[in-house]
Amino acid sequence: MTLFAFLQDNLARTLFLAWEHVWLVGLSLLIAMCTGIPIGIAITRSKDLAQKVLAGANVIMTVPSIALFGLMLPILAIVGHGLGKVPAVIALVLYSLLPIIRNTFIAIKNVDPALVDAGRGMGMGKWRLLREVEIPLAVPVILAGLKTAAVMNIGIAAIAAYVGAGGLGVFIQQGIARSHETMILTGALAVSLLAIVVDLAMSLLERWVTPKGLKI
Amino acid sequence: MIEYDSVTKIFGIGKKAVTATDNVTFTIADGETAVFLGPSGCGKTTLLRMTNRLEAVTRGTIRVMGRDTMEMDAQKLRLSMGYVIQQIGLFPNKTIAGNIAVVPRMLGWDRGEIRSRVDELLGMVNLDPEIYRDRYPAELSGGQQQRVGVARGLAANPDILLMDEPFGAIDPINRDQIQDEFLRLQGKLKKTIAFVSHDIHEAIKMADKIAIFKDGRLVQFDTPEAILMRPANKFVSDFVGADRALKVLGLLRIRDAMNPEPRNLVQAGEDAPGVLKMMEAQNLPLAFVIKDNRPVGYVHPKLLKYEQGRVGELAEKFPETLGAREPVRDALSAMLMHDITAFPVVDDNGNLAGTISYRQIQKSILDLYADDHEESKIE
Repeated sequence: MTLFAFLQDNLARTLFLAWEHVWLVGLSLLIAMCTGIPIGIAITRSKDLAQKVLAGANVIMTVPSIALFGLMLPILAIVGHGLGKVPAVIALVLYSLLPIIRNTFIAIKNVDPALVDAGRGMGMGKWRLLREVEIPLAVPVILAGLKTAAVMNIGIAAIAAYVGAGGLGVFIQQGIARSHETMILTGALAVSLLAIVVDLAMSLLERWVTPKGLKI
Repeated sequence: MIEYDSVTKIFGIGKKAVTATDNVTFTIADGETAVFLGPSGCGKTTLLRMTNRLEAVTRGTIRVMGRDTMEMDAQKLRLSMGYVIQQIGLFPNKTIAGNIAVVPRMLGWDRGEIRSRVDELLGMVNLDPEIYRDRYPAELSGGQQQRVGVARGLAANPDILLMDEPFGAIDPINRDQIQDEFLRLQGKLKKTIAFVSHDIHEAIKMADKIAIFKDGRLVQFDTPEAILMRPANKFVSDFVGADRALKVLGLLRIRDAMNPEPRNLVQAGEDAPGVLKMMEAQNLPLAFVIKDNRPVGYVHPKLLKYEQGRVGELAEKFPETLGAREPVRDALSAMLMHDITAFPVVDDNGNLAGTISYRQIQKSILDLYADDHEESKIE
């Protein structure tokens, strides 16, 4: 069966799985963003804390995804969510944290100290300085971190199909189980395409939210 | 008024402690520019940063307008002073108008008020508001950026301005120009200014008073003239340089050294033989020819011999005119370059204000020395 014919027969299902995939990645990215960015900013105030947090996030990153699902299974089974979307979202959030925290931390740290000095010397408080100067200047780098996390998570979410989270990984998993090459190919191509599209979209967003004065 | 009273700052504790400023006491009077001068690491920047509490005072007190800064809210204190730094520190994400508006916005001014103030300030620093208001810092040259930096410091019309080597990062030609502009501005605004510099030329040019620091101690606090002519010790005289008499020439204005009522003036319409006779009688080597109270040129006896015409037509032109407000250094330079020992001096309208000669320059320098050395001569 050709790829095209397979798609024609399974269009609704493909779209549904793609939607599920996007939903998994999107939700986990949102959660990681809402926790990772504040953590990244917070740790700029303490060198000691920054080292510990970044080292911790690094350790999580090094655990292979399939192993992480395995590790979470008995723990989440206690609350009855050993399989399905819950472990998938948790794993995706954990993986996203490192690039988001690290990029936020680096971006804020790299703001020209002269600007911070000028702001403080003019009477800006910590929050105002953060809101009006540090965060706007850090936005491009923070967004680059989000992009890395998003693209990486599209790949990891495909593996989450093995714990029953759904998504385009289902095609790959089931295709392998049934030796159905076209099915595998469809899943693989769809995941790749999704990653490319998200990367492009995030690049556009990055350009759009970068303060105008930084683009000159 | 800014009063420094036994101000001491110690960084670190125990064996690693470093004394950045050591028991510094002096006062910057209202409307005065005090330049903090000294080599790097002498404590001048630390002292400035303690003034708006970017650094805490270890011992002693700093009073601003009579109030102890440590008893004031740090943010309110900073809002009440302008702050201009060497790295300029314009926020690249904000437009020029947005940068200037930072402090007025924090003070809660309304939009219209802020907008008109921004335009007024841009005008003051010679940047056309129509062109620059909505631009970003990255679109401006270094000199233009620092003009905006100065405008930002002046935004909320503070009485006090703290400037940390504000013109240090600008190329020499632009620096000279922006210094001149700032002097003109300060002439009108009369702010109380604490100005950090490591450049003796800049200090002489900008300062009403210079505070010279060494290793955290205040070595001398006095007017530029006094620092140049009466250095407190070897460190100061070394720092101001062996050419300090020449530096005084840069400080002294022509109007203070010139002869405002010269005798050797002749009108352009006078006849050559008459003028020659007069010059020979009075033994004048040179006479200034004027017409309608404006200098036309000069004549000397050799030039007039055997001539019959009017001196206005015979006169040699001066290669340059000197303004009364220019430094004496320029007059001396003109004399050396053109081999003429006297020049006419004109006021802002081009009318003759007086004349200046080499001897007068020398005399005014000697007068300055005489004031200082009277005591030692008596001994």
